[in-house]
Amino acid sequence: MIHFLAWLENSMLGHAMRHSGVWTYGVVNLGHILGVATLFGAVLVLDLRLLGLWRTVPLSSIAGPTVPVATTGFVVAALTGVGLLATKATEYAGNPFLLIKFPAIAVALLNVAVVTSRPAWKQMARPDPTPGERRVLAIGGAVSLAAWLTAIGAGRMIGYW
Amino acid sequence: MQTRRSISMALAAFVMAVLPAAAHHGWSGNAQEEFELTGTVEQAVSLAGPHATMKIRAQGQVWDLTLAPPARTQAAGLNEKAIPVGAQVKIHGHRNSDPKRFEVKTERVTWNGKTFNVYPDRD
Repeated sequence: MIHFLAWLENSMLGHAMRHSGVWTYGVVNLGHILGVATLFGAVLVLDLRLLGLWRTVPLSSIAGPTVPVATTGFVVAALTGVGLLATKATEYAGNPFLLIKFPAIAVALLNVAVVTSRPAWKQMARPDPTPGERRVLAIGGAVSLAAWLTAIGAGRMIGYW
Repeated sequence: MQTRRSISMALAAFVMAVLPAAAHHGWSGNAQEEFELTGTVEQAVSLAGPHATMKIRAQGQVWDLTLAPPARTQAAGLNEKAIPVGAQVKIHGHRNSDPKRFEVKTERVTWNGKTFNVYPDRD
């Protein structure tokens, strides 16, 4: 862990973050917040639908716009996040919130893989899912919300340790 | 019904995740008392990250000084080249409230008769 953090801090990215002006960190941080907001805003709508809200709206009509928006938000948040971490990576060694945040992100991504491979998700255009299929999707939505909220909550706390 | 319960649980988790933020913001992690320290610069000012930083050696310890955010620290005249390593400085601020941590949220750095006041609106 510490070796990886030291490598990241000494990388070109870490160097660029530290030596390219006094506003760099703030602007990258802004990008990170926008990325997280984009990701979570879209995920929240999709997850609430999976949990059973707005059943009159077909799942495909909600997944259509929310999935690409969430994916874009995730990519922006991930890229800017690496920059923020690289700035002073070794200072975050031993930060407990980092050890909560990254496993939570891993769980959330694993959940995406699991949910999107379920037949219930693949046949989302069908108007009448069985109760079993509904339950599978609802569990996926609940795990997603819990995992992303944990990741965002722990992420926010990193700076206060 | 089940839906409503899931949503209220999600909301509860969110509130619990957000609440500690109020307790940690700003200066509350540092002691109320004004704190002064004289030492030699171990690591020059860095204008990187959420706050500018520097390190000084004093009382046989290396102290982490947390300055204002980079733009504000620079505006106070305190940049990477303002004070050389090895120079003797006097600093004024608030020590971390954990006595095991040698960290000072620093308001002023004085060197060579010059005072860099990175938080001019604070005592």
